[in-house]
Amino acid sequence: MANSTSNSNEIDIEFRSVTKRFEDVVAVDNVSLKVERGAFFSFLGPSGCGKTTSLRLIAGFDQPSEGDVYIGGKSVVGIPSHKRPVNMVFQQYALFPHMDVADNIGYGLRQRDPKPARQEILKRVDQTLEMVRLSGYGKRRVWELSGGQQQRVALARALINHPTCLLLDEPLAALDRKLRREMQIELQTLQREVGITFILVTHDQEEALSMSDRICIMREGQIIQSGSPRELYDEPINRYVADFVGKTNFIDGDVVDAIGPLVSIKSESGQVFSGSQPPGAPPIANGNKACVAVRPEMITITNIGETSNATNITINGQVVNRIFLGEHTEYLVATEGCGEVMVLSPKSIESANRSFEPGDHVSVSWGPEAALIIGDT
Amino acid sequence: MSKSNDNRPITAKRFMKELRRYEKGSVSRRHFLGVTGLGTAMAVMGAAMPSLWPGKAQAGDLGDRLIFSTWPNYHDQANLDEFTAKTGVNIQVNAFGSNEEMLAKLQAGGTGWDVFVPTNYTISNYVALDLIQELDLSRIPYYDAAANNPKFAGPATVNGKVYCVPKNWGTTGFVLNSKEIMSSPKSWKDFFDVTMGAGSGHTIVHDYQLTTIGAALCALGYSFNSIDPKELAEAEALLIKSKPHLFAITSDYQPGMRSGDGWMSICWNGDATQLHNDLPEMEYVIAADGGEIWTDFYAVPKDAPHLDAAYAFINFMQDPKVQAREAAVHGYAPTDSRAIALQPPSLASDPILHPAENLMNGLEFGAAQTLTDPVRAEVMARFKSA
Amino acid sequence: MREDRKSGRWLTAALLAPTSLWFLVMLIFPLIVILVFSFGERAAVGGYAGGFTLEQYANLPSRLKAFQNTLVIAPAGTLLSLLVAYPLAYFLALRVGRQYKLILLVLVIVPFWTSLLVRTYAWIFILGGRGIPALLEFIGIEGVRLINTPGAVLIGIVYGYLPLMVFPIFVSLEKLDKTLLEASSDLGGSPFKTFIQVTLPLSMPGIATGCMLVFILLMGEFLIPAFLGGGKVFFIGNALVDLFLQSRNWPFGAAVSVTLVVIMLITVSLYMRMTLRSKTGRDESLM
Repeated sequence: MANSTSNSNEIDIEFRSVTKRFEDVVAVDNVSLKVERGAFFSFLGPSGCGKTTSLRLIAGFDQPSEGDVYIGGKSVVGIPSHKRPVNMVFQQYALFPHMDVADNIGYGLRQRDPKPARQEILKRVDQTLEMVRLSGYGKRRVWELSGGQQQRVALARALINHPTCLLLDEPLAALDRKLRREMQIELQTLQREVGITFILVTHDQEEALSMSDRICIMREGQIIQSGSPRELYDEPINRYVADFVGKTNFIDGDVVDAIGPLVSIKSESGQVFSGSQPPGAPPIANGNKACVAVRPEMITITNIGETSNATNITINGQVVNRIFLGEHTEYLVATEGCGEVMVLSPKSIESANRSFEPGDHVSVSWGPEAALIIGDT
Repeated sequence: MSKSNDNRPITAKRFMKELRRYEKGSVSRRHFLGVTGLGTAMAVMGAAMPSLWPGKAQAGDLGDRLIFSTWPNYHDQANLDEFTAKTGVNIQVNAFGSNEEMLAKLQAGGTGWDVFVPTNYTISNYVALDLIQELDLSRIPYYDAAANNPKFAGPATVNGKVYCVPKNWGTTGFVLNSKEIMSSPKSWKDFFDVTMGAGSGHTIVHDYQLTTIGAALCALGYSFNSIDPKELAEAEALLIKSKPHLFAITSDYQPGMRSGDGWMSICWNGDATQLHNDLPEMEYVIAADGGEIWTDFYAVPKDAPHLDAAYAFINFMQDPKVQAREAAVHGYAPTDSRAIALQPPSLASDPILHPAENLMNGLEFGAAQTLTDPVRAEVMARFKSA
Repeated sequence: MREDRKSGRWLTAALLAPTSLWFLVMLIFPLIVILVFSFGERAAVGGYAGGFTLEQYANLPSRLKAFQNTLVIAPAGTLLSLLVAYPLAYFLALRVGRQYKLILLVLVIVPFWTSLLVRTYAWIFILGGRGIPALLEFIGIEGVRLINTPGAVLIGIVYGYLPLMVFPIFVSLEKLDKTLLEASSDLGGSPFKTFIQVTLPLSMPGIATGCMLVFILLMGEFLIPAFLGGGKVFFIGNALVDLFLQSRNWPFGAAVSVTLVVIMLITVSLYMRMTLRSKTGRDESLM
């Protein structure tokens, strides 16, 4: 397994125009995608967006209504889950309550035909327990374990089978915040160690951004945008993606100039904002509704009139709230005509300049390169 | 009922007046129901829809129900229905398989029975155990002691008091399906020989110690009523030996005979008539080596809850016309000469109902001591659990 | 504080009183009566007449066959009911769409609304000579005797006790976490292996409850053997009916009852021990 690392461009999982209907509901709507071998791939979206159904189509619990699913270059449509070379970590782990930890982990090996020798299974179970840092827990009952330990048993139970691809269905949702952070790191480390494809389903954008190589954002059964975390963060093709991935300030307006390299929109207050369109976004025309999106960390907060650069866009306002976040300070500024704007000010700048208090009159400004003009949908 | 009651519908005003009077207690419930016509309405409704009838009820004085314990295939439902229609008394019928079962229930107490049908040999036991009450014959005007042959009616009188009135008399022999059994067995000895021979697996004996042990005793040449432990031990051995060859041990033997599974069964003559009427190949045999002759009676338990209804019912059933109709259906001979006179000639001369006297020479009335004899009881129980 | 605790204790006692009284009057007291009776003698005309004798217990071997029949047919009937009920419960719990589930469950219970006596009586005709054997004869299989055999009694038992077996199993299968079945399949378990390794062990509580209910009731059964066994397949229940309702030998009947209770207590406690040892899950209680 370790030899099939991420630099080969082999495709591990592929959807070709896959549609899945449950009676009248279209859960997955004509989706095509490719996942490279060894990638850490995430389906991201709110509940009901079709991400879990997509995962189940790979696992074989559901079969597509239309289209083809490929695993390792072979169509698996019609092949039941127990004959597919993928394994899943379930949201509530689905550990067998009537078996101890070792029996749970060895379950997959015992299903093989021919069945490996008892000693072989025991050895592999021990190795896998060690891999997930649960040595000595083999004889425990699964319900005696903490959530994090159960999570690792579920991982071990899947990984012991050396699947070509590991499917993770909201694996961290049941854990508390601190444990979630730890497990995120652990999962990443594990993925590098075993070198197989991980496909994660999550509704937590932070989790997806921090762990994945590639993310596929879904809505109502369709893929809205897929790309690396950076691409999704820096170049969201529409407001849905921008809003889902990270925090963003939006100012609505009508497109007034869509000709040049930069697009301009005019907000309700009459102010004109310019910015670039993200690559891959649908074309935009004069008169369309659009918005300007600016990430809070791209905005500088200063005393009124202190704006450094003339090309910058500046709005005046009043600080309504300040939250100290350690590395950053988050300001909420009520602007004149553009609603509330969130500003994330790094500590370095904070100490160099001065900090602001709620009630202070301030200017917020950003360079045109920081602003994206994106369609409304 | 009140004579003031004419057939005109009651007016609303008069209804309210009568209701007030009733509420104040100045008229009886009967008067109220009679005057307002509600009584008739309720009686009709009660007959038509027994479930609507309230627990304590109102059709005249007889109450709304009667619990009647008797034997299977022993009544014409039409007669029972007629009684209900006439009186508003619904009859709950329990069918029993043996006198012992009836005795056990009565001994345990709280049966709620109003009328039951004991056989001749049990009466003196019931009297001794104080379980049945002396009858007030003035309340059973249809009963005519003179019309009843004392041979059959005799056991009703204990210590000079009349405790019951006769229902029917009959014999206990066996029935056979002549299509299946060609050897025409004539005695209980033949009966057991055929059972353990050509007819193996198709014989039914009663779940009733008197007749089943009695049959075995007769086959061995002993008295039907023997309580001699040695003789009973032999009878037990014969029964246990025959058990693997039996089709069933049950007193409800008609279904088995009708289904073709049973070829031969200990049988009361009325059931034989019923079977023979439907299936001519069913033949009744009074065994040459003995058997039972019996009379069944209507009796009233000491604690009968609906005594008035019990008398009304017994009287109704003593009506010679009703008796004749009953006999036409169940095939047992009445003891009442008036009823026999009403029977069609075909029945009056029927050899199963009225066998020739000489055939009955070897038959015995059941003896009182067989009912309570512990050895007979245990022999029967051991035979069944063997 | 002390007052509170005291009144709390009174309240507990008051709340428990009706149950305790019920148990005392309906269970403990009759058991004591039966125990006392079992050492007595039969009165001359039947019933109970005091005294102290072990005679009744010495007479137990005369009902050996009834004990044997019961102890063979009751477990066999339980097993057979299980074999018939499990697939039905499985089908209802895991294969039937939600919209049909209720109606099918009701159909399973509907026969229970009619008296068992009536339903068993119907079987006399189905299994009798004009019933199934006649059909078999029609297709060339002759001489089949069903009614009044242990086989007929077993059929009657399975029919009569099916709902008692179906429901506990249905409940345990219904509350089975379906993702466990997916997990098994995902790990390479074929449907059959999944059934053996996951479904079956996790439905053990339902199986245990169903078997317990059916077995305990069967030990006292008398109606089905009386009707479908024609008095030839004789259970302890029938022996008891005979002793109390025919020969009126109460003391011997009491001795047989006491023996039956003892046998039942022993089997049930052995069974409990077995199922407790192989206890499957955290919250999977026996009942």
